[in-house]
Amino acid sequence: MLNRSLLAAAALAGLTGAAFAQDAYNVGLTGALTGPAAGTYAPAVDGLRIYIDKVNAAGGVNGKKINLILLDDSAQPAKAAANATRLVTDDKVVLLLNASLSSTYAPIMAESQKANVPLIFASSVCPKTVYPPANALQFCTTAFAANYDSRAVLDFVKATAKEPVKLGLSAMAIPISRGEIDYAEELSKTLGMTPVSKQIIPPPTPDYTPFATLIKDAGANWVYSWAPWVTQVRTLEGLRRLGWTGDYVAWAHLEAENELARLKDGKFFVVGANALFQEDLPIQKEIAAAAKAAGSQYPVNQMTEGWIAGMVIEAALKASGWPANAEKITASLSNLKVDLKGLRGGELQWTKDNHFRTKQYYRVYRWDEAKAAIVRVQDWKAFDVK
Amino acid sequence: MQLAINIAVLAAIYALIACGYVLIYRVSRVLNLAHGELMMLSSYLLLTTASLFSGNPLIALGVAVGLSLCVGVLVYLFLMRRMTGEMVLAAVLTTVALGVLLRGLVVLIWSAQQQNPAQALGWVNYSLPVFGGRISAAGAGLIMTTALVYVGLFLFLRFTRYGIRMRAAGQNPLLAAQRGISLHVIYALAWGLSTLTGALAGILISLDSGLDSTMVLIGLKAFPAALVGGLDSLAGALIGALIIAAAEVLMIYYVDALLSDVVPFLVLILMLIVRPWGLFGTREELDRV
Amino acid sequence: MSNREPRASGYFRSSYDQGLRLVETRTQWTSLILFLAVLGIFPFVASSFQLDLANQVFLACIGSVALMLLTGYAGQVSLGHAGLIAAGAFTAGILFKEFGAKFWVTIPAAAVIGALIGLIFGLPSLRLRGLYLAVSTLALHFVVVYLGGEYETKRGFSTGIVIDVPRIGDFVLRDRKIWYFVLFAFAAAALLISLNLLRSRTGRAWAAIRSHETIAEALGIGVPAQKLLAFVISSSMTAVAGALFGYYRGFVSVEAFSLFLSIQYVAMIIIGGMGSILGAILGAVFVTLLPYAIEYAVGLLPNARSYAGMLAAFNYAAFGIVMILFLVFEPQGLVGVWRRVQNYFLLWPFKQKPLGGGRK
Repeated sequence: MLNRSLLAAAALAGLTGAAFAQDAYNVGLTGALTGPAAGTYAPAVDGLRIYIDKVNAAGGVNGKKINLILLDDSAQPAKAAANATRLVTDDKVVLLLNASLSSTYAPIMAESQKANVPLIFASSVCPKTVYPPANALQFCTTAFAANYDSRAVLDFVKATAKEPVKLGLSAMAIPISRGEIDYAEELSKTLGMTPVSKQIIPPPTPDYTPFATLIKDAGANWVYSWAPWVTQVRTLEGLRRLGWTGDYVAWAHLEAENELARLKDGKFFVVGANALFQEDLPIQKEIAAAAKAAGSQYPVNQMTEGWIAGMVIEAALKASGWPANAEKITASLSNLKVDLKGLRGGELQWTKDNHFRTKQYYRVYRWDEAKAAIVRVQDWKAFDVK
Repeated sequence: MQLAINIAVLAAIYALIACGYVLIYRVSRVLNLAHGELMMLSSYLLLTTASLFSGNPLIALGVAVGLSLCVGVLVYLFLMRRMTGEMVLAAVLTTVALGVLLRGLVVLIWSAQQQNPAQALGWVNYSLPVFGGRISAAGAGLIMTTALVYVGLFLFLRFTRYGIRMRAAGQNPLLAAQRGISLHVIYALAWGLSTLTGALAGILISLDSGLDSTMVLIGLKAFPAALVGGLDSLAGALIGALIIAAAEVLMIYYVDALLSDVVPFLVLILMLIVRPWGLFGTREELDRV
Repeated sequence: MSNREPRASGYFRSSYDQGLRLVETRTQWTSLILFLAVLGIFPFVASSFQLDLANQVFLACIGSVALMLLTGYAGQVSLGHAGLIAAGAFTAGILFKEFGAKFWVTIPAAAVIGALIGLIFGLPSLRLRGLYLAVSTLALHFVVVYLGGEYETKRGFSTGIVIDVPRIGDFVLRDRKIWYFVLFAFAAAALLISLNLLRSRTGRAWAAIRSHETIAEALGIGVPAQKLLAFVISSSMTAVAGALFGYYRGFVSVEAFSLFLSIQYVAMIIIGGMGSILGAILGAVFVTLLPYAIEYAVGLLPNARSYAGMLAAFNYAAFGIVMILFLVFEPQGLVGVWRRVQNYFLLWPFKQKPLGGGRK
């Protein structure tokens, strides 16, 4: 009686291994397309999808289409592991992409190493392994990056603050955010600031006021948060509700543009590496038109990350020629220069040792009440990545 | 002072959610583990009604709350009614399954994006000074709503015909049924009311701090409050909420914020060891489960 | 294997020994050998992805059989199963990271830690029953996961603890095919241990406790000790499954052990059918493969890629619906369906059981 169930299982599994076109570049992505974390990743992935569709409609790369396979892992490590296996062994992808929480990194990195397939982190936070000296197979296109972000933010705070800085810090109780805020705490001391309060906030918190109260009572005049958008903005709202009038600086996640307009807070600065859509660059118009034509359900101004990943993939495939295998693509990724047409401060450049970018540029925005618009507070400032 | 206000707001949140657990448990001995999901569903319903009746936030609010009541009744009629008289555990697991289903549906309909119902209604969450501290308008609304709901429930259960029937059905379903009380009507009513109070909680929380799927976890965190107070006692839920909220906020203030996440459950374990039926619960309940 | 009733084939037991046999008739022997043969051939014909699925099923089987012992046989409800899996995985991960322990140390260690935690999980059962017990195990799940998370952050393993591939000398346990046989061996061991327990004194004691505690006590069964034993054995097996999971995936991280995992395990034993080891296995197969089946079905739809973003939501919704359907319409689970099919053929051409005699 047992064997029947197993036979059924085997039959089922046999069906899932569907054949894909051999006459195309197979690129596979596992990402948090749904689930609690999806808000940060799904729009970017949709942007990538639209970009690849556009490339395919225009004849593909080197005359071949790109077959982009999207799998959802809902930010669950076990699911990501299964997805990665499937992409590598069944779909025979020549390039893996990850757009999910950092908890999914370990399994997908393991799979990439085992199969020798290059792996790009697109819209998910860059792991340390892409900084120089980089892991041979791992690359990252994402704007935000541990340590460099805090450097840029504290640099901005130091330049802007008129009085001695008493710094409040806020993180979400997930490892990556906690690690960065710990780093920022140490860094701030070397820059002559006084970290006065560090709050690590568990994700399902119904009320942020207790945390905000602690930061306010510690006498902070600047607060820095590097966390998922929810935590950044709810800490701010909690502080403002308590009547705190200091300056608040946070990372410009995908949501930043809409949220700045919603909050209308003149002392809320966002630091980011992507140009906001209010810049109205030609390429941004192009993205908007493509998204509209594709009928995407996500806001256009959250697609930049996906678009950049798409440009990088296209460039790498083009350089690898046809037929391409994982090795060739790894080689062309390790020596790549992509013109981002103003979406970032400069071009994205990868070398043998540096799979992050050689220069990281940051811009600072805030809401201006008088103009009723988002304004640039500080233009591109470059930080060398060594 | 701010400390007291923070505790009060959190306690109000937990109390308002916990009374939903208590209402259903008291009447039908079913623990509704889908309460958090129903709460989330109601808040998302508000998003939809807000766009349907744009410009009339109060109507949108009223319709959303009304719809939630209907959802509760429908859940009973189409799902839980079949589980009446089944093993209690089966019924509880059915609510778990319902919760999973609702989580999926909410994402399918409204996507997983972070939403802001306050913005959809065109409301600004003002901050009000009170007794040397500050409270947000939504927070104040929460405390007032909780007070109103508890007073209302007390009056309802004590003085109205259906309230008395509800208590009767809770005490002895068989006898109640034999005296001509329609258990199905009473149970449906309990589910409706429970979802309604949950909806109020969910909506107010989401007005205060936005809406995404972590709402479910907030619903789950309120559960220890109901159990500490005694699963079949409304007064207990109120006290339990205060205890849990105080423990959590004090933990954030004086020990470690990260502990605040597990403290409700630690208090719960402690309570289960010392006095499993809760502070105000009935002792015999334990044997019926 | 699971039903201890006389077979309809005319095979009647004539001694108590026969009732205790695991494999009774020739037909059963044949089908068992056939089944093992199929399992033995499977890895050589399956793709790597299918092997991965099979391995997941084996892991799930260990966990669901363990939970079935506890809930389906001893009648003790647990919503903290994911916490126990986490405990096992973290035991392996921490021992590896801190002491560089080999897997022949970590897996027994996971079993011991699992047993200890099982003892703690079981203590409330001496005072509590049913719902309240379920809640206390739920609370313990949160505590275990919190501790695991703290360890990860404090030691700086923010993206999870990476565990090296286990090796014995030059023999590296990397290939999925080898894993298949290893995991199969563990699952078979769990199965055999469970079946043996159930046909021994312990199993009968558990069944008595499940049916009626007071009467069990009157029969001379040490109820508290037996309850704790059920928790200890079940948790120990579960923790081993957790440790294996860690090794198989090569990493351990708290996010993998959410409350939803507990729900999935509970769903396995419900969907499979309470009070049946076969049910636990069927449930594990069903629940593990369901999301992939849905994924495949969605992939068949035209314009599949635009639905990709909805897949997890589909999965959630479908999982909820399947669970509800089983709870409402088929409380006996897949085993109930299987028995009904069996009966249909056994009774054919009749629809009802003949009066007095035959299968109950």
